[in-house]
Amino acid sequence: MAPHPQESDALRGSIDLLVLKALALEPMHGWGIGLRIQQISRGRLEVNQGSLYPALQRLEHRGWVESDWQSTENNRRARYYSLTKLGRKALGEEVDKWKRFAATMAIVLES
Amino acid sequence: MSRLKGLVARMRSVIGAQSSEQRMEEEFDFHLEMETKRLIEREGLSPREARRRALVSFGGLDTHREEMRDGRGARWLDETMVDLRYALRTMRGSPGFAVAVAVTLGVGIGVNGIVFGAIDSLLFRPIPTHDPSKLVALFNLDTKSKQPFSLGYEDYVDFRDKSNAFDGLAAMTDMPLNLAVPWSTGVADMVWGSLVTENYFTVLGMRPTVGRFFTAADAPQGANPFAVLSYDCWQSRFAGDSSVVGKTIRLNGTGFTVLGVAPPGFKGMRTFGFWPEIFVPIGMHNIAIPGSTHQLEGRGGGNLMVVGRMRQGMDRPRTEAASVGFAAQLASAFPATNATTSAIVIPAAGGFDNPAYVKPRVLFLSSALGVFASLVTMIIICANLANLQLARLAARVQEIAIRLSLGCSRERLVRQMIIESSVVALPGVAIAFATLPLSGPVEALMVPHLQFRVGFGTTVNDRIMWFTGLVAVLAVALFGLIPAIRASSARSLTSLVGSPRTAPGRSSRLRAVLVVSQLALSVMLLVGATLFVRSLLVERGNDIGFDSRNRAMFSTNVGLQSYDEARGRRYYDDVLARVRALPEVANATWGFPVPFDTYGRDVALYVDGVPTSSKDGTFAAQASMMAEDFVGALGFRLEAGREFTTNDSAGAPRVMVVSRHFASHVWPGKNPIGQRVRRGGASGPEATVVGVVGDATFASLGQSSASRVYFPLRQAYRDWETLIIHTHGDAASLISKLRPVITAADPALPIFGVTTMDDAVSGGFSTSRTAASIAGFFGGLALLISSVGLYAVVANGVSERTREIGIRVALGSTPGEVMRLVMQGGARLGFVGLVIGLGGAAVVARLMCALLHGLSAADPITFALVPVVLAVIVFVATFIPARRAVKLDPVAALRSD
Repeated sequence: MAPHPQESDALRGSIDLLVLKALALEPMHGWGIGLRIQQISRGRLEVNQGSLYPALQRLEHRGWVESDWQSTENNRRARYYSLTKLGRKALGEEVDKWKRFAATMAIVLES
Repeated sequence: MSRLKGLVARMRSVIGAQSSEQRMEEEFDFHLEMETKRLIEREGLSPREARRRALVSFGGLDTHREEMRDGRGARWLDETMVDLRYALRTMRGSPGFAVAVAVTLGVGIGVNGIVFGAIDSLLFRPIPTHDPSKLVALFNLDTKSKQPFSLGYEDYVDFRDKSNAFDGLAAMTDMPLNLAVPWSTGVADMVWGSLVTENYFTVLGMRPTVGRFFTAADAPQGANPFAVLSYDCWQSRFAGDSSVVGKTIRLNGTGFTVLGVAPPGFKGMRTFGFWPEIFVPIGMHNIAIPGSTHQLEGRGGGNLMVVGRMRQGMDRPRTEAASVGFAAQLASAFPATNATTSAIVIPAAGGFDNPAYVKPRVLFLSSALGVFASLVTMIIICANLANLQLARLAARVQEIAIRLSLGCSRERLVRQMIIESSVVALPGVAIAFATLPLSGPVEALMVPHLQFRVGFGTTVNDRIMWFTGLVAVLAVALFGLIPAIRASSARSLTSLVGSPRTAPGRSSRLRAVLVVSQLALSVMLLVGATLFVRSLLVERGNDIGFDSRNRAMFSTNVGLQSYDEARGRRYYDDVLARVRALPEVANATWGFPVPFDTYGRDVALYVDGVPTSSKDGTFAAQASMMAEDFVGALGFRLEAGREFTTNDSAGAPRVMVVSRHFASHVWPGKNPIGQRVRRGGASGPEATVVGVVGDATFASLGQSSASRVYFPLRQAYRDWETLIIHTHGDAASLISKLRPVITAADPALPIFGVTTMDDAVSGGFSTSRTAASIAGFFGGLALLISSVGLYAVVANGVSERTREIGIRVALGSTPGEVMRLVMQGGARLGFVGLVIGLGGAAVVARLMCALLHGLSAADPITFALVPVVLAVIVFVATFIPARRAVKLDPVAALRSD
């Protein structure tokens, strides 16, 4: 992914969507989210890990996720993020949108 | 909701920037640590290599840091700080501009605040009590004439006890009192007092500052010599000393115990009354108003102002409906007195007065004109500042163009401009707030100086602060936004960039529009101001009909001190003898009312054969009671016959003197001397006209007081008279010498209204003079600012056209032609502004008509003078830059780019 901070809207949107998806299961810290995205995508999506944090901040400002300090299993302090009710709803909508977009792209590209 | 939450999160992150930064660093550290650990454990890398790989997969640390700072608004804050610093630096760079902005804005906004304050205190003068909005005033309403009038005591008692329309109803009537303070050395003084029902302060819901108010126990007639002081009275006469409670003061010669002090800010309930200093129970009317035997009687009208509290859940219309219903019951119960008496209920939250007294048109007009003048001045100032900003902007075209091409966003540019304007405006806003406390002194200039205090009692309150703040914000928006938007719009930018060599662009057109509107508005203000000044001059230029020089006035009210007629007459003669014996005194007389006293007095007259519209054949005329020698002592002109002498006494044939105006109206074409007039009606006492005096002005406000009759004091006793002393030499310097001579006749009797006739005459014009000077201030200020604006536009035009002028001169244009070229543009702006302004001024002048005494709204001198003044100003404002254009060296001018 591009290192430039001014990523395109589509790219930003897809990171947001991946973060939301990763958080759907359970609250998680930033590093864990990156790891989970890798796991779910079986290593095929190499997310620039640092760009997760601006995305998380964005989602928090939008009221889709919230965060607080918690302890990890190894008693290390970490910022845990979780989906809000609004975020859960938004995830559903964003997934639908993405699917429609992908399907449209597929039609266009395969014709 | 989510937006709100987001906004809160964003605000928190901006405010707590430090902790956000810490949180970010901690999260990044945690991430890298976990990733490094994972790489060591899973992939068996060395710690160093693992750390390196972790950093690589994280991406640029600083990039992410920056992005997060942007995301939480830190960049916005940074940029704002930069803009602020930049603005401060620019301001330091052009101190002249900064001072101009500060002073003009300060004056403009401050004036708006002060004008608003005066109107605010007139409209919303708060009665210092709880829930004042529940207070209403009750008046009788004549069902035929629809005129409201005050109540008689018995009707008031019935309304209070039986109508069930009010939650408490109180009554009052005002009068002057002779106040003497036995434990102080000060001489007796005349103060304004209020006779109130014992429930007065209870109904108003007030708490005493010290002591207590009246109670029901204070109701019995004549047995309750108690007094409550106003806060102002307590402060000024008793130095705010609480020990005054329980002490005895003397009112009209009788001892009254001070019970307590009313709350600060309470100036009585009447809007257009004097401010009462002392409140006395109405049961003491015999002493407060000597001879008032019927005060606690009467129906179908009386002298009581009635104020009450509305019942729970009632509003004014329902309270009025209930009162009208009860008035109808009274009308059927007492048809002899109340047959045509209904009721009217008006709001009293901010004080009240008989609606018939209020001249709403004049009041509304003065308020509207005040607001209009101050707002227009404000707009002119803003237009001028916008213009100056535009000029400064033109000088910064290069800078802006570079910044835009380097990717500076327009939003950012607009923001920067607004921040700059705000910074520049801030000192002005501070000045504006600092001028607000001037509202008190300004009011003191505006209200007439009467014997007792009147006014609105303007104080700086929250509403005034908010209003001033709002005006300030609007002003900054007005003068900051226009150049900001202009600066950021691409089209105008090209016109700005191109302007040095091309014809005037859109920007200069905008500036021309601003200047024309400034000039037009200034013309309107100037016409208004000139009309006021002309009106004052016309008023002053009128012959007042008597000689006011070297004359002093002293008033006294012997009735309040319970003198009977014989004692009163002895006192009048005694004082005249004492005063006339002084070598400095040329002449002296008693009279009431005398010219430029505050009072007027009507009498009904009957003249055989003179038709009138009234049933009993009488007509009203202004009348004065005068002692002998009044014509000489007052400097009247005796046009025919003789004046009063000591022989015109009680036993002698009744005589009178009439004014020229009266004589020519009542007996046109006939000799008035020897004509007979009856007082009061066809069967009243008959007096013979023995003299005619010239018409004299008795009041300032262009009142038609010329028709006046004079009766000899010795044949018509009055207990309130004014002593006029005609002195050899300056009267002002003799007042202190005359005063003890008069008080020696009776030290317990207060002497009031001490002044020279010249001062009284001058005071009579004070309101007009103040109106004229305030209007003149607005007009002059507006004109000055507009001329600066015009100068700036023309001067700017010259520098924009330097090249063109250079070419013209090189091609042989004469200096005269160049000058004409430059001045033509300015003259055109001036002409358009003048035409528009005169149109607007004609409308304003017609509205002002009611405030102009003896002056037509289309006063030709005003409408001729203003264009001349404007032409001169336009000439000066364009001549200076034009001369500079003429002096241009053509070679240098051509090279100027």
